[in-house]
Amino acid sequence: MFDGLSLDIPRGTVTAVMGPSGTGKTTLLNLITGQLNPQDGVVLFDGRVVCPCSRRRLYEVRRKMGVLFQSGALLSNLSAFENVAFPLREHTHLPEELIRQIVLMKLHSVGLRGAWRHMPSQLSGGMARRVALARALVMDPELIIYDEPFVGLDPISMGVIVRLIRQTNDALGITSIVVTHDVAEMEKLADLSYLISNGKVVAHGTPQELQRDSSDAVRQFMQGLADGPVPFHFPGPQYAEQLQEMAHA
Amino acid sequence: MQSDSATNIGVGLFILLGLGSVLFLITQTLGMNGISTGGSYIVQARFDHIGNLKVRAPVALAGVTIGRVSKIAVDPSLYRAVVEMQIDSNFDNLPVDTDASIATTGLLGGKYIELNPGIDEAVLKDRDEIELTQSAIRLENLIGKYMLNSPDKQ
Amino acid sequence: MNQTIRACWISFSQFASTFGGFQMFSFRLLPYLPKALLRPGLISEQIYSLGVLSLVLIMFGGLFVGLVLALQSYSTLVEFGSTDSLGAFATEALVRELGPVVAGLLFAGRAGSAVAAEVGLMRATDQIAALELMAVDPIQRIVVPRFIGGAISVPLLAAIFSAMGVLGAYLVGVHLLGVDAGAFWSQIQDRVDAYEDVGVGVLKSIVFGVSVSLMGVFEGFYAAPTAAGVSRAATRTVVITSVWILLLDFVITGLTLPEV
Repeated sequence: MFDGLSLDIPRGTVTAVMGPSGTGKTTLLNLITGQLNPQDGVVLFDGRVVCPCSRRRLYEVRRKMGVLFQSGALLSNLSAFENVAFPLREHTHLPEELIRQIVLMKLHSVGLRGAWRHMPSQLSGGMARRVALARALVMDPELIIYDEPFVGLDPISMGVIVRLIRQTNDALGITSIVVTHDVAEMEKLADLSYLISNGKVVAHGTPQELQRDSSDAVRQFMQGLADGPVPFHFPGPQYAEQLQEMAHA
Repeated sequence: MQSDSATNIGVGLFILLGLGSVLFLITQTLGMNGISTGGSYIVQARFDHIGNLKVRAPVALAGVTIGRVSKIAVDPSLYRAVVEMQIDSNFDNLPVDTDASIATTGLLGGKYIELNPGIDEAVLKDRDEIELTQSAIRLENLIGKYMLNSPDKQ
Repeated sequence: MNQTIRACWISFSQFASTFGGFQMFSFRLLPYLPKALLRPGLISEQIYSLGVLSLVLIMFGGLFVGLVLALQSYSTLVEFGSTDSLGAFATEALVRELGPVVAGLLFAGRAGSAVAAEVGLMRATDQIAALELMAVDPIQRIVVPRFIGGAISVPLLAAIFSAMGVLGAYLVGVHLLGVDAGAFWSQIQDRVDAYEDVGVGVLKSIVFGVSVSLMGVFEGFYAAPTAAGVSRAATRTVVITSVWILLLDFVITGLTLPEV
C-alpha cells in the first residue's frame, strides 16, 4: 500500500507522522516495530535492520522501543502499579524493593503515583494512557511511539499528554514518533513532521514549513478542507445514472 | 499479585479434594485382591476352554477369594489355554491334586476360578501346575445338547 | 439448489481450514510447555479461576446426578429384585460415563467459554499486541498457563463429580429407598473395576480436559478483535467442545469396552 515511501527519523526529536484516515499510519508503525515485514524495502533501527529476523532478535530490538496504544492497552487484570512493573518482572530479576522504587518513580513522572492501586477499569481514558506511558518508559527505551495519543481527550488531559511527550523526550534524550491527525497539537509539539497520503510522503519538514506549503494535498489536510485531493464523494457511478437504474429496476 | 495466598490455599484445597475423590473411587472399587501383604506365589493351570474368564478374575477356595488370575495365554502346541494365578502366600497348603474349575458368578455373571482341594500330602509350590481342570460350561453348549437330546426322546 | 451446495461447500472448507489451523496451533504450543512449568504461579492462578471457581457447579451437578441416577435405576432394578446392585450400577455409570462427560460439558460451558472470552477480549483491546511489543510472548504468558490449568482441573473436577454422585446415590439408595448399606458398598467393590472403570473415566477426563482447554484458548487467541468476535469465540467454544466431548466419548467407550 505504500509506494516508494522513505522516512528518516532523527534521533532525539519528536517527529509527527500525519495523514488522512486510512493512509496506513498504523501500518507504518507495525513496520517499525516489526509486527509487519516490508515486501519491498528495509526498516532500520539504530542502523540495524529490524526485520525479517528471528523472534528472539525481534524481542531484543523491541526492548529498546516503547509503544503507547490509543487505548493504553493496560492488562485488565493487573493494577496500575502491577502494569507498570510488568516489563521489569518479565525481563529482569531485580529485587522487589528496587522494582517498587522504579515503578513509583515512573508513575510519579506521569503524575499518577497516587493511583498506583487502581485497576484499569477504574481509570479514565486519559489516566489509563498516562499509566501506559509510564509502562512504556519503565525499561528506558530509546524510541517511543505514540499511536494517536490525543484521540478522545478533553483539553486538560490533552495538555497533560502534550507536556509529557515533550518533557519525556527532552529529559530522557530519547526519540519520539507521534502518529496523529491533530494538526493543532502537532504544531505545539513536533520538531519534524511527515505528511503521508496515498502511500507516499506528500510533505515533510518543520510544522512551520508545512503551514507554508502550497500544494493541494498539504493545504487540504492542514486546513481541514472537505474536498480536494482526498475526495468528498466515495467513488461510484454517476448520480444521474444511478437514479435512472433504480427507476428502471 | 493480590490475594496470592488465598489463591494458593484455594488451589491446594481443590487439588486435595480432587485427588481425594480419585482415591475414594479407587478404594471403593478395588476389590480385595485376596492377596495380603505376605506376598503371593504363582500356580498354573491349563483349560480346554476358559469362556470369558478375564485377568484379575478372582480365584476362590470354598467361595472365599484367595487370589487373582494374573495372566492368560494360549499354549500353541497343545491348543489349550494357560491360566496363571497369583495365590496369597497364607494359603500354601493346597494339595497337588487340587482341581481348578471355571465357574460363573450368579447366573449370567463373569467367570472365576474355583479351587477344590484334593487329598494328596504334597502341596503346590511356586510355579507348579494344577493337573485337574474343568473347563467353563458354556450356555450355548448346554442349550445345544438339550436340543439334540429332546427330539431323541420322542 | 446451487446455492445450497455452495453454502455447504463454504461451511465445510471453513471448518476444514479452522480445523487445520487448530492442529497447527496445538503443535505450536508443544515447545512452550516445559518452560511454562517453570512459572507455577501463573498455572496456579489459572487452576484457581478455572477449577476452583467451578467447584460449586460441579459438586452440585454431581450430587444431583447421583440422586437422580439412584431414583431412576431403582425403579428398574426393583423389578428384577436386584436393588442390591444399585450402588454398583450407579457407580459404574458415573465413573465411566457421567463423571467425565457431564463434568466436561459443564466445564466447557463455564470455563471454556470464559477462557475464550477472556483471551478474545485481550486480543480486542490490544493487550496481546501490547505484550508482543513489550517483548513478552503472549502465548507463553497468557495462552499456555490457561491451557495447563484447564487440563489439570478437568480430571480433578470429573473425579469430584463422580465421588459426589456416588454419595448422592448412597443417600437416596440407602436412606431413602432402603437399600442395604452393606450391600450397596460391597457390590460396588465386587462389580466395579478400579482399573477398567475408574481408569477409563480418568483417561476420558484427561482427554476432555486437554480438548476443552485447547479449544478455548485457540478460539480466544484468534477471535476477531470486536465485541461480536469475542462473543462468537465464546459460543463457538461451547458448541464445538461439547460436540467433540460427546464424539470422543463414543470413540473411547467403544475402544475400551471389554465385551465388545
